[in-house]
Amino acid sequence: MLARPRLLVIIVLGVLLIAAALTPMLGGIYAVKFATRVLVLAIFVVSLDLLIGITGLVSFGHAMFFALGAYALYFISPESEGANALIAFPAAMLLAGLAALAIGSVAVLTRGFYFIMVTLAFGQMLFSLFFDTKIAGGSDGAYIYIKPVISLFGFQLFDLEDRNTFYFVCLALLVAAYLGLLLLVRSPFGRVLQGIHWNEGRLSALGFNTYVYKLMSFVIAAAIAGLAGVLYATIDGFIAPELFGWRQSGIAIMMVVLGGAGTLFGPILGALSFSVLEEILKTEGFVGPIASYWSMALGFILIAAVLGAPRGIAGWLQGQRGDRESSSAPGLLAAPKREGGRGTGKLLETEGLSKVFGGLIAVQDVTLRFAPNQVHGIIGPNGAGKTTLINLLTGAMRSSSGRMRLDGEDMTAWSQHAIAQHGIARSYQRTNIILPFTARENCLIAAQAHHPQALRFSRRRYAAAEEAEAAYALNAVGLDARVDTVASHLSHGEQRQLEIAMLIASGAKLLILDEPLGGMGPEETGRVTALLRDLAANHTVLLVEHDMDAIFAVADTLTVLVEGRLLAHGTPQEIRRNPEVLKAYLGRFGETESAA
Amino acid sequence: MELVLIQILNGLQYGLLIFLAASGLTLVFGILGIINLSHGSFYMLGAYLSLTLTSLTGDIFLTLLLGVPLAFLFGMLVEWLFVRHLYGRDHLQQVLLTFALILIFNDLQRMIWGTRPHSVPIPSYLKASIQLSDVLSYPVYRLAVAGVCVVLVFCMIYVIQYTRIGQMIRAGESNREMVEVLGVDSRLLYRFVFAAGVALAAAAGTIAAPIDSVYPGIGEPVLITSFVVVVIGGIGSIKGAFFGALLIGLADAFGKVFLPEFASVMVYALMAAVLVVRPGGLFGRV
Amino acid sequence: MTAAANAAAHEQPPAAPMLVAERIDTYYGLSHILRGVDFRVMPQETVSLLGRNGMGKTTLLRTLMGLVRPRHGRITLGGTEISGRRPSAASRAGLAFVPEDRGVFPNLTVKENLTFVARQGRNGRANWTLERIFSVFPRLAERRNNWGNQLSGGEQKMLAIGRALMTNPDIILLDEATEGLAPRIRDEIWETVRQIRAAGIAAVVVDKNLDDLLALTDRNVVLTKGEIVFDGSTAALKADPDFIQRHLGV
Repeated sequence: MLARPRLLVIIVLGVLLIAAALTPMLGGIYAVKFATRVLVLAIFVVSLDLLIGITGLVSFGHAMFFALGAYALYFISPESEGANALIAFPAAMLLAGLAALAIGSVAVLTRGFYFIMVTLAFGQMLFSLFFDTKIAGGSDGAYIYIKPVISLFGFQLFDLEDRNTFYFVCLALLVAAYLGLLLLVRSPFGRVLQGIHWNEGRLSALGFNTYVYKLMSFVIAAAIAGLAGVLYATIDGFIAPELFGWRQSGIAIMMVVLGGAGTLFGPILGALSFSVLEEILKTEGFVGPIASYWSMALGFILIAAVLGAPRGIAGWLQGQRGDRESSSAPGLLAAPKREGGRGTGKLLETEGLSKVFGGLIAVQDVTLRFAPNQVHGIIGPNGAGKTTLINLLTGAMRSSSGRMRLDGEDMTAWSQHAIAQHGIARSYQRTNIILPFTARENCLIAAQAHHPQALRFSRRRYAAAEEAEAAYALNAVGLDARVDTVASHLSHGEQRQLEIAMLIASGAKLLILDEPLGGMGPEETGRVTALLRDLAANHTVLLVEHDMDAIFAVADTLTVLVEGRLLAHGTPQEIRRNPEVLKAYLGRFGETESAA
Repeated sequence: MELVLIQILNGLQYGLLIFLAASGLTLVFGILGIINLSHGSFYMLGAYLSLTLTSLTGDIFLTLLLGVPLAFLFGMLVEWLFVRHLYGRDHLQQVLLTFALILIFNDLQRMIWGTRPHSVPIPSYLKASIQLSDVLSYPVYRLAVAGVCVVLVFCMIYVIQYTRIGQMIRAGESNREMVEVLGVDSRLLYRFVFAAGVALAAAAGTIAAPIDSVYPGIGEPVLITSFVVVVIGGIGSIKGAFFGALLIGLADAFGKVFLPEFASVMVYALMAAVLVVRPGGLFGRV
Repeated sequence: MTAAANAAAHEQPPAAPMLVAERIDTYYGLSHILRGVDFRVMPQETVSLLGRNGMGKTTLLRTLMGLVRPRHGRITLGGTEISGRRPSAASRAGLAFVPEDRGVFPNLTVKENLTFVARQGRNGRANWTLERIFSVFPRLAERRNNWGNQLSGGEQKMLAIGRALMTNPDIILLDEATEGLAPRIRDEIWETVRQIRAAGIAAVVVDKNLDDLLALTDRNVVLTKGEIVFDGSTAALKADPDFIQRHLGV
C-alpha cells in the first residue's frame, strides 16, 4: 500500500515548496510563467497517478478531461468580462466529471489492452468533435479574452490577470489536490483501489463491486484533470483541440512514470523534470543541432528511463520498502464482537447436487452433510469433481440440479456475493493474496468487505472494528510477529496462513480450503494442520487435500469423490478400510489389501 | 443518391485499407501479446517508401513489389533490436516504450524526408475515372487500391490457411506453449509475425499514398482507427478485424453523408456500442 | 526384452541412461513442489510415474520438457544439457510431451496437427510418417479433415500421441494417458503404448490405472510430496502392499 514517504522525500518536497513560494520574488516573468505551467501540469499528472499508479488503470485519454476543463472556461466566460473563478473552476470540474461518467461507464467495462485502446479512442473522438465542428472555434482554437476573477458576492477579491496572484492560486490548488488525493488514497476507499490494482479478482471475490470503484476513480481523476485544464486556459487565454490528443495523454503518462507511478508525489517531480528536460532539449544553446530533433532525444531518454529506472525518481528517492517490526504482542486475543454477528460454525448440506458441462458430468448426484465445528476432508483419485464441487458450494458456478442448504436455509439460488455475505469463504490452490500489501492490510481489506458500508471514504466509523478483526485473524493463524510484513516477503507457509487469516477476518464461519498444503515441507505442514484443528473450534472447515497423512491427522470426516460421484463418507478409519475406496485408488492392487 | 453510392465505395475502399493495416496489429497483439503504439509509423514508412521508390521506378506497383519486402526486413530488424525486449513486460511499460518509438520514428522521418507534404503520382494507366452516372465518376485508382487490398488479403488468407508457417501462426494463436513443446522456436515465429505486421501496414501506406498527399503524421489516424477495429473485432482475430474494418468504413461513409461534421464521432460511437454488448470484441477470446 | 534386461542377460555393462535429471528443485512462486528429485530414463525403457494428485508428477514432466525452469538441478538428454533451455530445444534433442489436456490445436485439422511438426529424429530416423500414424490410429485417418476440436476426448489423446510421434522422438512423456476415457478407448491407448515400446521409444507414463500400467513397465517411480520414495521394478513394488496403500491409496 501507499508507503509513507521517507524523510528525504519530505525534505525534498519541502524545499521545492519553499522554492516555489519564492519564485515570484526571485525569478523574472519568464520563470513565473514557466513555473505556473509546471504547477498546472503537476495537478494534471497527479490526477493521472490516481488512475495509473493507484488503481492500475492505464488511461491513454486522460488529456481529454484536461481539455474539457480548459474549454469549459471558454464556454462559461462572457464576452466582455472575466468569469467568476469560483463558478468557472467548479464548473470545469463538473463538466470533466460528467464526461468521465459517461465515457468511463463504457470504458471501465474493458480491461488490459482494450482499456488502453478505448481511452485512446475516446480521446480522439473528442478531438474530432472539437476539431471538425464549430463548437468552439474548431481547428483554429478558441480565445478567452479576459481572464477570470475570483469574486465573492460581487466583490472582486483577486484578479487572475496578475501573474503572481494566479501563480499562488495554482500553487495552493496543487497542494490542495495533492493532499486531497493523499487522504483519498489512505482512506478505506483508496485501500480498495490499490487492491484492485494488484489483484482485482481477489477483491471481486471478497465482495467488492470493482466496476463501481474503478468508475469512481476514473471520474475523480477526470474532475481534477478538469481543474488543471481550466487553470491552463487561464494562463494564456488560448486553447486548441490538440489538447485532447493522445500525444498529450502519452506525455502525461510519461511524466507519471518518469516521476514514479503510484506515489502521488512522484508525478509532481516528473512534471517538473519533464518540463525542465523539454526546455533543455529544445534549446540549441545547450544541446546544439539536435535541438530540432528533441522528440527523438526524448524518445531515447524515455526508453532508457523505463528500462533502467522503472520506479522513476520517486523510486530512487524512496529506496526499497523495508518491513517494520510489528508491535503487537503474542498471546491469544478474544474474538471481536461483530456487528450483525454471525454464530459459530455452520451446517452445510447438499442433496442430489449435480453439475453438467455439455456432455461431461462433473458432479453427479452428491448428497452430503457437513456438521458444524468439524474438519471435513474431501479426497478422491482425480481432480475435476472436487474443484467443481467447491465452485458449486461457493456460488462460483450454478448447479445443474439438486439443492444446497446452509443452517437449514436453501442457498441453491444464491449469488456468489450472497454466499460470501452469509459466511462461506474459500481459499485457492495458488496463493491468491494481495502481494504488495502487508499482512495486516490484507486482513483489513477482507474485514472491510463485509462491513455494511464497504464503499466509504472516512476511516473513523469502522476503523476500530476492522483493526480488531484483522488483529484477531492474524493472531488466530499465528502471524502476530509478521503483521507489518509485506505479503510478498512472507514464506510460502506464512502466505497460506495469511490466506486463511483473510477468510477469518472477513467473518467467514465456513471455510473451504483448496489444497492448502501444496508445496509445503513437513514443518510448515505441521503448523498449518495444527492451525486447522484449532480453527474448527469456532468454524466449520472443508478441506480438499492430497496429503493423506495430514488429512488423516486432522479430519473428523472424509468424503471420497470419484469422477464426480460420492463413493464414501465416514470417519478416516472407516474410509481407510472401505474396499470400494481402495479399489478406486489402486484397482486390483487394492483388492488384496481388503482381504487381509 | 450517387453521392451515397460514392461514399459507400469510398467507405468500402477505406475499410479494406484499414483492414490491411489492422490485421497486422491484431496479429501482433494476439500472438506476441504486446501493444504496439508505433504501428502507425509503419504505415507512414510505407507512404514515404512510396514517395522515394516511385520517384526511382516511376510506377506504384513496382514500388509495392520492392517496398513490401524492404518493409518486412525493416520489421525483422526492429523486432530483433527492440520489440523482443517488450515480451512479458507490463502494459504500462509496453505503452511507453512503443510511444518512445513513435517519437524516434517521427523525427527520423523528418530528418530524411522533411516536413513538407509530397504527392505520389498515380500511374498513368490508372488515372482515368469510371462513369457511374451522367454526373458522377469514380477514380479508377481507388478501385485499384481496393483491388490490391483484396489481393493482399487473399494472399494473407492463403498463407495462413495453406502454408506451414500459417499453421504455426494459427497454432500459436490457440496454444503458444504447445507450439514450443513441439519443437518450434517461437522467437523466430514472433519475428516473422511482427515483420509481417509491419509489411502489411507499409503496404497499405504505399498504395494509399497517391490518393492523398504524403505528410508527417500520416500514420496517426490509421493507428487510432486500427485500434478501434481491433477493439471491435477482438484482439487476435483476423476475421474480427475484417468485419470491424468494413463496419468502420461504412460507418464513416454514412457519417459523411448524413452527419458530415460528426462523421468521425460515428466510428467511436460504434465502438462504444459494441463494447457495451461485448467488452471483448465481436470475435474476441477473453 | 528391454535393453537393460538384454544387457544383463549378456553380462555387459548397462547402457548409459538417455535422460538424466539430477537434484531437481522446482518452485511455483514460493511453493516448493519438487524436492531434490533424481530421475533417469534408460534407452527404450518404459517407466511409470506414480503418485497421488498434487504430488508433483505433472510438474516433473513439465520441468523435464523445459516448460518450467527448476531452481536447482541439471537435466541432460542424450548427453546434451537441456536444463534452463527452451522447450523447443528439448524437443529437438529428442523429447516429446503429451500433456494431460492434450493440447490439440482446435483451429487446425487432424492432418495439419500431425504434419506441421513432422520432422526427422535426432539421428535422422524417420520411422514415424503420416501413413504409419494413420495405420496405428485408424480413427484419426477417418477424421483427417476434421478440426481439432471436433474430436472426442479419446481421439484427441490419440492425436496428441500421434503428433508427438511425428517428431520421431527418443523419449515420450505421457501425462495421464487414459484419464477420463471410456474402457474401450483406454485399451486402445494401452495398445498404442505397447507399440511405442515395441518401436524402441522410451516412455514415461503417468496414469491412475495401476492394473494396466504396471503390466507394461520396466521400472516404476513413486512421487510423494515432491520427493521420490520408490524407484524399482514392478515386482519389488507389488511385494509391499502397505507401501502401495500408503503412497498411492488412502
